[in-house]
Amino acid sequence: MTQKQEVTLVNPTTQAIIAPFDGAPRLPSLAGTKLGIIDDSKRNADVLLEELVDLLRTRYEISEVRWHRKPSASRPADPEAIKELAEYCDSVIIAIGD
Amino acid sequence: MSDQADTTTVQWTDPLEAVEVCYDLGWTDGLPVVPPTSRRVDEFVARAGRPADEVVGQLPERRREITVGKVAANAVMAGCLPEYLPVVLAATEAMLDPVFNLVGPSSSMGGAAILVVVNGPMVREIGINSRNNLFGPGNRANATIGRSIRLILMNACAAIPGLFDRSVIGHPGKYSYCIAEAETETHWEPLHVERGFRRDESTATVFASESPRQVRATGHPQAILYALADAASSLGTSMSTSGSVGDRSAGLRQGQIAVTIAGASSLWKDWTKAQARAYLHSNIRRSIADLKRAGVLPGDPETGDEDQFVYLVPEPEDILLLFAGGEESNMSSVIPSWGPKVGSTAVTKVVR
Repeated sequence: MTQKQEVTLVNPTTQAIIAPFDGAPRLPSLAGTKLGIIDDSKRNADVLLEELVDLLRTRYEISEVRWHRKPSASRPADPEAIKELAEYCDSVIIAIGD
Repeated sequence: MSDQADTTTVQWTDPLEAVEVCYDLGWTDGLPVVPPTSRRVDEFVARAGRPADEVVGQLPERRREITVGKVAANAVMAGCLPEYLPVVLAATEAMLDPVFNLVGPSSSMGGAAILVVVNGPMVREIGINSRNNLFGPGNRANATIGRSIRLILMNACAAIPGLFDRSVIGHPGKYSYCIAEAETETHWEPLHVERGFRRDESTATVFASESPRQVRATGHPQAILYALADAASSLGTSMSTSGSVGDRSAGLRQGQIAVTIAGASSLWKDWTKAQARAYLHSNIRRSIADLKRAGVLPGDPETGDEDQFVYLVPEPEDILLLFAGGEESNMSSVIPSWGPKVGSTAVTKVVR
């Protein structure tokens, strides 16, 4: 019978390195809060998001909307834009409309 | 030394079983691989003269860090020789540059492959093919360096078909897509020199792209360029479609393009690369009327739309013009970018 040979292989795959984080506290109400929007620039993302903003205005009385449109759907949002939205807004919605 | 914490011990009785073990571990691109034994990987790492745990680059969107050891393991599996590793490392570093935005082309429905173009003395040293059968098959360096990039994408960058890789159809270049420029056989300036590197440096340029479209045209340079521009102007490429870009002013996505020109350099003696690029740039375009008919632009064609054109490539410098291919000048190619220039831009890195 042929002898089994034991061999060490180097794992060519990687694992995700995920730093622990705490989610933001939930808002008790949207009334009077400032909403941020990140439009990923895919076709119709703006249509979908505009509709959503209208609903949030009429049904939940958000007070203000700040809109950021990404230069490319494929690129991550600009860290500066994320920082600005995080500082100014109470909540932010991102979406893909494709 | 390889990082011993990141190894797996297996058993086999013969080479056939060894190949099957790698399939079972889910490490292949569908073709058999060379098992990445720690001995072979160590040999590769030693040849590169860089520590196995040195970080080549990161893919932050997938929380991945890619080390020299990981690149070496995948290069072993692809069938590389140890001396190819520096080229694979340079190409990996290039595709992990933020400008390249790897998360886009490695996940998109567009189905990009990553074309690697090698320039400089390394091309001759390790024998990367730049002539007949440019895109393969038949040459080990091209086949295995290109394949290494796909294995690195699948194994180290999590671009697994059906999961993060959402290509609708993709193309055969996704198995392997590596060429060199025949820079010693032309008066044209090599790609890397045009991109700011010294002639005696070796470089790897990565370009997220669709498949090559072979263009059959012969005679004189302008006729060849005219046919190339016509092929590059077709509807249905990423460049001639719209959407997914924030800036709506151009109307189209626009993008970079690679062009290969084969044959004898003497045919092009009256042309510089810059002149050829300028000609191509001004002729790679489509009428507003056609773009409306194809639903790329909104509305129906109106009077005058037939004579109004939109350029598909932003600037002449966005054409990667390469002298490469067989010794006959009748076959050239155009390789449109996977996406808009704002989504991914070609990147060149030095081979260390």
